Amino acid sequence: MKPFALGWGKAVRLALLVGALLALYVLAVARHDERARIREQPVTLTPGCEEKLARYGLAAGSGYASPYTLARSGQARVKRGYSAEDVRAIQRGCNIIDDLQGQLAADPSRERWNSTRFVRGTHTSCDHCHQGIGDKQTAAGVAQTGSLSLAASWVMADMYDQFTGILLPYELRQMQCYINSSNGYKPNVADDLIRDVTAYSRFLAAALDLRFGNHYAEQGIDEVTAASTLKRGDDYVRGAALYKEKCARCHGPQGLGTVVDGKALYPAVAGPNAFNQQSRNNFSFVSTILPGFLCRNMPLGEEGTLTNQDCRDIGFYVSNMPRPAGDKDGPLAALWHQLMMRVMPTLIHTIETWQRPEVTQESGT
Amino acid sequence: MKQAVSSWVARRAGAVGNELLIGLTLAIVVLPQAVAFSTTLAGLPSYFGLYGAIWGMLFTALLNPSRVFHGGPNSTQSAVIGVTLLPVAPQFGPDYIGYALTLFLLAGLIQLLFLTIRPLGRFLDFVSEPVANGMICGIGLYMIFKSFPPFAGLPVNTQVEWRLWIAWQSFLAVLEIGNMHAIHIGLITLLVTVITRQFDTLRNWAILLGIVAGTLYSEYLNANVGVGETLVEQTANISPAGFVYPSLPLFTQEAMPDIISIIPGAVTLALLGLIQTVAAMRLMNRKSGQFVDARHGIFADAVSNCVLPFISALPTCASFNRMSLMQTMNTGSRLAAISSALFLLALVSFFGEYIAIVPVPAMAAIIMVVGANMIDWSDIKAHFQHRPEAIVFSASFLSVHVFGLFGAVICGSLLALAYAQWEKAHPNITLEGNVLRIRGNIYYGSLPVIESLYHRANIDERFDELIVDFSAVHHIDPEGIRWLAEVGRNGRVRFAERRGGQDRRGDSAGRSGERKERRRRQAL
Repeated sequence: MKPFALGWGKAVRLALLVGALLALYVLAVARHDERARIREQPVTLTPGCEEKLARYGLAAGSGYASPYTLARSGQARVKRGYSAEDVRAIQRGCNIIDDLQGQLAADPSRERWNSTRFVRGTHTSCDHCHQGIGDKQTAAGVAQTGSLSLAASWVMADMYDQFTGILLPYELRQMQCYINSSNGYKPNVADDLIRDVTAYSRFLAAALDLRFGNHYAEQGIDEVTAASTLKRGDDYVRGAALYKEKCARCHGPQGLGTVVDGKALYPAVAGPNAFNQQSRNNFSFVSTILPGFLCRNMPLGEEGTLTNQDCRDIGFYVSNMPRPAGDKDGPLAALWHQLMMRVMPTLIHTIETWQRPEVTQESGT
Repeated sequence: MKQAVSSWVARRAGAVGNELLIGLTLAIVVLPQAVAFSTTLAGLPSYFGLYGAIWGMLFTALLNPSRVFHGGPNSTQSAVIGVTLLPVAPQFGPDYIGYALTLFLLAGLIQLLFLTIRPLGRFLDFVSEPVANGMICGIGLYMIFKSFPPFAGLPVNTQVEWRLWIAWQSFLAVLEIGNMHAIHIGLITLLVTVITRQFDTLRNWAILLGIVAGTLYSEYLNANVGVGETLVEQTANISPAGFVYPSLPLFTQEAMPDIISIIPGAVTLALLGLIQTVAAMRLMNRKSGQFVDARHGIFADAVSNCVLPFISALPTCASFNRMSLMQTMNTGSRLAAISSALFLLALVSFFGEYIAIVPVPAMAAIIMVVGANMIDWSDIKAHFQHRPEAIVFSASFLSVHVFGLFGAVICGSLLALAYAQWEKAHPNITLEGNVLRIRGNIYYGSLPVIESLYHRANIDERFDELIVDFSAVHHIDPEGIRWLAEVGRNGRVRFAERRGGQDRRGDSAGRSGERKERRRRQAL
C-alpha cells in the first residue's frame, strides 16, 4: 500500500510543478501579446516631441532627408527611410526622454512601457540632464557645447568607460543613466525601453547629420575640475548661501523639488526622489559632473551666470543633502539613508523655525 | 590504508558504469558554470574557468580521499575575484590577468598557512551545519533566480545588488520581453529533466536527457526557422583552448602597491574557499557515512590553489551543488570526480563543436534543476526542531539574499560563534583502551574532535567492542544527537552513562555483558 501512496504523492507533486510551469507559460504568452499590441498602437506624442519630430520631418517612407540639414547647408542628403514600426519606436523613445514618468500620458504604464519601474521616486526624467529632449540648442539653432546630446553620444558608438575601462556599447551607456537614478534594477539591455531610446538617438543623429565615429562638442558635459577654479577648495558654507540665493526658489529650501498637481515642475535634488549616492551627478562620487551641468544649464533663464567656483561650491553643498543610497552601498547603508531622509528635513525645519515663525515660508519643503 | 583503497574501488560490481555516468553528468553541469563564472563574475577569459574545472577537479580528486568531493570553480570565489580586481586594472586585459594570477597564488599560500598552523584550520570548524545548510539553500534559490534571464534568452545584468528585487524584476522581464523560442527550449529541457527524474532507472540520466531534448529542439528550430530568427544563443566553441596554458603570476616592482592592495581580497578568497570546503566535507561525511578529516580537504585545496595559478586556472574549492548532485546520484568512489575532470577535458578537446550547439536556455534550465536539488526539505525540517538552530539557519539563508554570499559567511559564522559561546563548550575527550570518554558538550563545535577520535577507536582491531561513556556530558545539541543516533547503529558500540548506574543498551543483560560491564567499571 505504501509504495502506491508514495507514488500518488509523487504524481501530485509532479503534476503541481508541471501545472505551475504551464500556468507561467500561459501568463508569459499573454504578456507578450499585450506587449505586441502596445508596440502596434499609434503613439500620442508629448507637445515637446510633437514639435521636435515635426521640425526634423519624421515620417515613414523609403528615404529620409533632414529639413534641418537642408536649411543649414542647403543640401539634402537622402538617407534610408523609416518603416511605420521604426517611426513608432522613435516616437516612443522621444516620449520616454521628454516625459519618463508619464505625467503627460493618459495611461503611463502602457505608453511609457514600465519605464518608471526602473527609476527611483516620482521626479526623475531623462530630460532633466539631457535637456531639449536630448538635443539642446542655442537660440541660433546650434547644438550647445557639452549638453549631453544623445545624437552625438550615439555616433560615439562603443566607448570605454573612463572609470572602469570596460567597453560600453550605447545600450550599456544608457544603463549608466539608470544606475544614476535606479532603485536597484536596470532594465534588461534587450528591453524595449532601451531599444526605443536607441532608435530615437539614432534618428536625432540622422536629422542633425552627425557622422559616425566623430567626436562632437555637444557630446558629454563640460566637466568643471578643481584646477579650473580659484583653487581654494570647495566651500560648503558658500555653497549653502548660493543655493539659498539661486536654487532654493525652484528646488525648495531643502532640495525636495516643486510638485504642482502631482507633476514635478522642478525635480528634487535631495530626498527620496533625487539621484542617488552613487550617481555621477553626486559631487562626492564624481566631483566634476554636477558643477559642469550647473555652469551650463542653471539657474533656468540665467544660464552662464555662475562661475566655476560657484558651481563647485553649490555641487558640494547639494551632494551633502540626504539622498537614497546607491545600489552598491548595501542594505545597511540604504536603511541609514532612508532614516536620514525621513528625519533630517523635519529636524532642520524645526531648528530653523524655532521661535522664528517668520522664516516658515523659506524653510521646509 | 584500507579506507584509502576502498575510496578508490567502486562498492559493488557493475558500479563503474554508474561512476562514469556521474562523471559525465558532472562534466556537463560544470561546463556552463565554468564559462559563466569566469566571464561574467571574475572578468577573465572563459579558458580560466575551464582549466579551473578540469585541473582543479583533477588535483582535488587526486589529493582528497573523500568519495563525495568535487572541486572546481566556484561562484562566490569568482565574484570575489571580480570585486577585488575591478579597481586595479581593466577586466580581460593582460594586467588584469597578471594580477588575477597573483591573487590566486596569494590565496593559495594563505590556505597553506591554514594547513600548517593547526589552530587556524580548527577555527574553520565553527561553521556549523545550520549555517552551511542555510547557505546551501540560499545559494540554491539564488541560482534559480540568477538563471531567469538566460532561461528566456535575455542578457544577464551584471549589477548584482538587491538580489531578491532583481530576481523579481528578472522574472517580470522573462514574462514580458523574454525570447519565446528560448523559453520553449528552456521549458522542454526543464520538463524532460523533471519528468525523467521520477523514474528510478532514468534518474541519473535525467540531466543529460534534458540537455539532449533541449538541443534537439533548438536544432529543429535552427533548421526550420533559422538562427537569425530565433536569436537563441549557443555555447561558444571552446575546443581551441587546448590541454594546458602555462602562465606566471605578476610580481614586478611596479605592481607591488597594487599587489599589497589586493591582499585583503586574497584573504577573503582563501577563507571563502576553505570555509566552503570544510563545511561541505562535514556535511558529506554525515550523508555518505565515510569519515574524512576536513584537513585533507584543506590540504588538497591549498596545494591545488598553489599550482593552478601557473596553468591559467581559477582557484578551486568544494562545490555544494555538484557534491549534492554526486550524493543524490549515489556515488561510490573517487572515480566519479576523476572521470568528470577527464570527461570535461575530452569534451572540451574533442567534442567542442557538439557542445557548441547546446543552447544557453537549456543550460540555464539545468542550473535551475541543480539549484532546486540543493534545497533539501529533510535538512530544513531537522533544523526547525530546535529554536537556536532554526534562527541560525534562517539568518544564514536570508543573508545570502540580503548581504550576498560573503555576507552570509560572515553573518552565519558570527551567529554560530555566538551560539558556541552560548553553549560554553569545552570538549575534553579521552580514549583509554576501548573506552571513549567524553566530558563537556557534544555539539557541532566539538563534534569534529569527537568524531575523529571515535573513528580512530572504531578501526582499532584489538577490541571487539567500543564503549562510549558520556557520563560527564552536560549538553548535547541536535547535531550531536543525530551523530549519536548514527553511532548507535554501529553494532560494536555500547553507550555508558554512569550516573544512571546502568548500561544504556537494554539487550546487554547476558553474562558476558555483565563481565564486560564489571571490567569496564574497573577501568573507570
